This record gives sequence, structure tokens and C-alpha cells, in this order.
Amino acid sequence: MSFIRLVEYSSRRGVATHPYPEKPFEVDELYRGRPVLDASVCIGCGACANACPAETIRVETDYEKGVRRWTICYDRCIFCARCQEVCPVNAIELSREFELAARSREDLTVVAEFKLGSCAKCNSYLDVSIRHVELAQKLLEKSELVNIMRELAKYTVMCMKCRRSFFVEKLGEATRGG
Amino acid sequence: MSGEASPREVLEKYVERLKQLLPREAIVDIKVKGKDKVYVEVKREYLPEVLEKVYWELGGYLSSMVGTDDRNIDSHYRLYYIISIEEDIRHLQWKPWIVVYTKVPWDDPSFKSTTPKVPAASWYEREVKDLLGLEPIGHPDPRRLALPDDWPEGLYPMRKDFKFYERPPRQPKPYMFRPEKVSEGIVQIPMSPIHALADEPSQFRLFVDGERIVDVDYRMFYVFRGLEKLAEERFTYNQTAFLAERVCGICGYAHSTAYCEAVEDALDIEVPERAEYIRTIMLEVERLHSHMLNLGIACHLTAFDWGFMELFRIREKIMKIAEILSGGRKTYGMNLVGGVRRDIPRDKAKKVIELLKTVREEFKRAIDIITSNELFVRRCEGVGILPKKVARALSVVGPLVRGSGIPRDVRYDHPYAAYKYIRVKPAVESGCDVLSRLMVRAREVLDALDIVEHALDQLPGGPILNEEKIELVEYAKGIGYDEAPRGENVHFVVIGKDSRVHKWRVRAATYNNWPALPYMSRDYTITDFPLIVASLDPCYSCTERVVIVDVKSGKTVTVSYARLVHLSRKVSQNPTHTPQLL
Ligand code: SF4
Ligand code: SF4
Repeated sequence: MSFIRLVEYSSRRGVATHPYPEKPFEVDELYRGRPVLDASVCIGCGACANACPAETIRVETDYEKGVRRWTICYDRCIFCARCQEVCPVNAIELSREFELAARSREDLTVVAEFKLGSCAKCNSYLDVSIRHVELAQKLLEKSELVNIMRELAKYTVMCMKCRRSFFVEKLGEATRGG
Repeated sequence: MSGEASPREVLEKYVERLKQLLPREAIVDIKVKGKDKVYVEVKREYLPEVLEKVYWELGGYLSSMVGTDDRNIDSHYRLYYIISIEEDIRHLQWKPWIVVYTKVPWDDPSFKSTTPKVPAASWYEREVKDLLGLEPIGHPDPRRLALPDDWPEGLYPMRKDFKFYERPPRQPKPYMFRPEKVSEGIVQIPMSPIHALADEPSQFRLFVDGERIVDVDYRMFYVFRGLEKLAEERFTYNQTAFLAERVCGICGYAHSTAYCEAVEDALDIEVPERAEYIRTIMLEVERLHSHMLNLGIACHLTAFDWGFMELFRIREKIMKIAEILSGGRKTYGMNLVGGVRRDIPRDKAKKVIELLKTVREEFKRAIDIITSNELFVRRCEGVGILPKKVARALSVVGPLVRGSGIPRDVRYDHPYAAYKYIRVKPAVESGCDVLSRLMVRAREVLDALDIVEHALDQLPGGPILNEEKIELVEYAKGIGYDEAPRGENVHFVVIGKDSRVHKWRVRAATYNNWPALPYMSRDYTITDFPLIVASLDPCYSCTERVVIVDVKSGKTVTVSYARLVHLSRKVSQNPTHTPQLL
């Protein structure tokens, strides 16, 4: 092909570039962008932190402040959507947002705190949030095996220590009674 | 296929042949695994002899070699040589894999090197020496390969007693580059390890006589990141599927697929057919964008930038396709052990098929124009010849081996994923030069377009992920493989405790191809070198800067990357003129 024809061929193609960032860049509707947490739904269970391959979501328990702290730092996120996949209450979802340039790490960090539940017996903090406890109770109450589950629901608001002694007590009662 | 021997029959035939071929006292154990794998345990001292026979007499290619630290199991290290049997049975659908392995006692960590008999083993044995401290006795080139030059002696990072967070103190030591032949008046040209654009930094040392390249030596592994170590100590096996996608900046999905296949092979996990199709589609999409990139770069290096621009314009449509199918342009994040995570809805498939039509038409047009450009063809024809014999001896893979007339293609030789149902004919060219490799890629682009379209159209129904609970069998071994754009990727996995892998060995395609570089470069000019490296498709020689050292006077001249590319391009504009470098 002669160069003249090449020029002609190319000019028919028109402009291929996109005037970004003057004009926004449209991405597909199912594009995987920044994961966004709906803190009003999240129970701080930490399933997302366990699954996250980049280990960029962390969930820790702060007994001093009495909170369950959920942190994400977007600079390490690989937008894989594992968090969205494993979340039991659909609290996290990937958006279509991809413009994540920032000057500092802090600007890319999002923190959410959830109040810890407390033990019905000794009043010390549980290692899960209040919401988590409420959800567990709701699920147990809805269960078919009503009686046993109602009974079990009591355990969910106890700390490990009290749960153990409560259980031993019950067991003792049962064996004595039987 | 009717009339063809079943995989089991083929395998049994090879077990018989092995028993006849190998000295009886060499064999400790022969075990058949799955429908196409034989594990042969041999005594340590017979290793080179056995491998020579399997490689040359049974028509094998060395696909990978793995050293494992099993001292916590039985006080031994193990060496696995993974050999793909291909010659003479090219037409069969199921070709056997023969895994020759041996035990190395913990208190005598050495073995006889196979490299003098099978040159393809060279890098693997050097790596095992670096990372596990197993000494290949009689290796012709025992220099460091994987570890940095300032890594302390006697510390082996892939041993189990070395933790991934350890940072040993540095002990600087120079690396000795050496040409095969040393003679008067040879000038050394070092190219420093920083690349502006490539996915793999590497340092080349060109030994030149005037403009003619006499020999090439190289130093790689500047980006040895210890991903395997990280996976073994920190990641769960499902997280590793995502880590595997970060092995390569271009063909990551191929790695993630090979990893998942390895685990699936080890644990006999069945993958639903729909997932196999989806994997195939994504693998071919990856091939499309990778090949277009490489073809574009070849145009750029020969100063035919129209081709570069046009191919990248078309490639952008492929990136869009990837985005539609996976939600990401480059990393698809689709794989999990047992299948894929993301389905392809019907309307998306339709949209992609439409896009593919325009891509096909435009790509054909572009390639017609590029190959009818005489200057381009003259730069690529007869340059960077890799003789068939060398390709065979080094177990070279991908478009490089197919450009040298050997029809090796894992998709055809060991069909995985949906290639069991969609048979691929390897694209072979016989010129052995840069042009042949480019033509192989161009043909593969057209094939890939057909495969994606066909697979999207024929996508079977059903689940996309095997959700049965995975039973982790400790120390089960598995091999995963696929044809990445650059050639065969092979992953080897040994399952470990606590949802982790005990051993994960990644072998990327380019690992088998680099050692061929000196053979391809000798007797060509410095200005051809970037093009020859590009035809290997690892990363082109976009070295940040080039220092030219005159060995006699010690004079050094620094040439920028831009100047080197400029020189390479200038030759195209005036092929009779060789620009002055010094
Ligand atoms: S899995 Fe969901 S609910 Fe649990 S911590 Fe993560 S976002 Fe919150
Ligand atoms: S998208 Fe992936 S990497 Fe990012 S936070 Fe979620 S799980 Fe982690």
C-alpha cells in the first residue's frame, strides 16, 4: 500500500483518543472499581478481611474504646470483589469509581467503628459488635427448632468466660436432675 | 476421535517403554496419576542418565523442574523434572507427562547435573542451587541466577527454615559476565537493568566486534519477588489464585489459571464445563491483547509507527472486551480453585461478539498493510535466526518455538480447559527468524478471535464453580499448565497444612526462552538487538541507558535508551547505512 493511500485510510478512521480528563471516561456497567462500605448495614464480622487477597481490609477489636474497627486502605486494593462475594449482609459493594489518585495514604483510608456488645452477666465487652449479636439472635429466633434456639440465643450475649461457666452450671443441673 | 488410543493405553505404553529403556537398578518406583501423568522415582546417582533417555529417546521437552524442601516430612529434599512427551506422538490428543523425581538427603545436598546432557535444564539447576542450596555437580555455568549478587552465601530463601520476613545483611559482590569465546578487540556493552517500559528488567552484556554482536550474556531476576515464598507462608490457597495473577503484567490470567489447575489436579477437583469455557475465553482475550502489543512494538522498533498506532487502536477494543467480560481491563480476577467466580451473561456475550467482528476486519487490514511494507519485512526477515536444533535442545516455548518450525502448543498437546472441546491447530512458520515469530502471532490473533467468538456462542449452561467442600489432602502433588501468549506456563503445587500450599513453583514461558537469546543474537548488529529481544516478547530492550565500554582503553560512553531506539529505527529508513554508535 502506498503511503498516500495509507494517509487516506487513516484519515477515514477519525480520532481514536478520548479527551480525558476533560470529558469523563465511561466504563462498563459491571466495571470493578472502588469497594464502598455501607456502614449502616455492616456488622463488623470480618469475613471480608479474611477473604481479601490483598489483606487491605482489616477488622480489629479495640477493647479499650469498646469498638470493632473496620479499616480499608484503597492503595492496596486489587478490585477483585472477594469482599463483596463473602459479605453475609451485602454491606460492601464495588462501585464503578476508578480515579483514586491521592497525595497520602490517609486520604485513601476509610475507617468504620461499631460498638461492641457486652456480656449479659459480667458486663465486659464481647469480641463482636452489638449489631452482630442482634443479627445472630434474630437468625436464631427465626429458626425452626424454636425452643433449643431460644435457649441458645441467650448464650450469644455472653462473653466466653461466662458462657463456659453458664454451660457447666447448666450441665450440672441437667445431670443432677437426670 | 475414533481409532485413537485411549489416554490410559498411551500412558501404559510409555510406562512399558520406561521400564525397558531405563536401567532396572535406577528405578525406585513408577506411579500413574490421573489420565496422563507418570511419576517415576529414580535413584539420585542415575538422574542425568535417566533424564537424557527420557528427553532425547522418548521425545520429551523439559517443561519445569522443581526442588522441594521436604525435610519436615522425611529428612529429604526432592527434585522433580517435569517432562512433556511430544515427539512422534504429536497427533495424539492426550500426550503423557513424565515426572522424574529423586530424593536428596538433607546432610548431602547435591546431585549430578543434567545440563551437560540436556541443556534445557541449565537455569532450573542454577535456581535450585540458589534457592534451596542443592549443588548441581558438574554444571557448566554455576553462577548465581535468581538471588541478588549481594545476598549472603549459604542462606537459602526457599528452605522452610527461612522465614519470608527475614532481611539478611547485604554482602556486595560483583557479577562476572563472560562471553563464550574471548578474543582481541572485543568491546563489551553493558545495558543496565532499569527498563523504562518492560515488564521485566534485565541486564544484557553485548560483546561486540565493531557493530557485529559476537556474544551476549545476561543477568536477570532483578524482580525476583519471592511470591512463591509468600504463598507458602502467608496466603491461603484461594488467595494465592489472586497472587498468581500478579506474576506477570501481561499474561497474569494464564498464571492464575495454571495455578488453579495445579491445585485441581492435585486434589482431583472437577471443574464445571461452563467454567472451562469461561477460562478459555479469558485466556484467548489475553492472548489477543498481548500479541497485538508485541506486533505493535515490532512496528515501533522498525520505525513504522503507523502500524504501532493502528494496532494499539485495535487493541483498545480488546481491552474494552476484557472490561465487559470481567469488569477489569487487565486483571480479570475470575479464577478460584474449582472454577470461576463471574458468569458471562447472554447480552454481554452478544455485545462482545459484535465487537469481535470489527476487530477481525480491522486487524486483517492492518496486518495486510504492515506485511506489505517492504522496509518492515526487510528488517525482520532473516534476522535473529533460532535454528530448530537449538530450539529443541533448550525446550523453547510459544511463538518462538513455533516460528522455528516445531508445532508445540499446550492447547493442542495437552488440552486443558475448553480446548478439550475446541481443538486448536498450532500456527507454525519455518523461517526461524523475527518475521516468522511475528507471523505466528498474527495467525494466532485470528485464531483467538475465532475461538472467543465460538466459545461465547456455544457457552454451555450449568454452574460456574464447583462448590463441594474441598478436601485438602496433605502433600498431594499437582501440575497445571496452559499456553500463555508467550508460551507454556507450568505450575507445580504440593498441598500443605492449614489451607496453604507446601510448595508452589511458577514457571513462566519466558524462563525457557531467555537462554535462547545468545544463539539468536550472534552475528547480527547492535541495531538488530532490540528487535531480536522484542521477537522473544519478554520485554523489548528498552533499557534505560546503555554504557559502552571499550575494554582496551577503558573508555565508556553512555547511550540513552532513546538513542538506541533511534538507531534501531534509523536503520529502517536507510537499510544500507549502519549508524555509528561510538
Ligand atoms: S463481611 Fe460485610 S458485614 Fe462483615 S465486616 Fe465485611 S463488610 Fe462488614
Ligand atoms: S476488592 Fe478485593 S482487594 Fe479490594 S478490598 Fe475487596 S477483597 Fe480486598
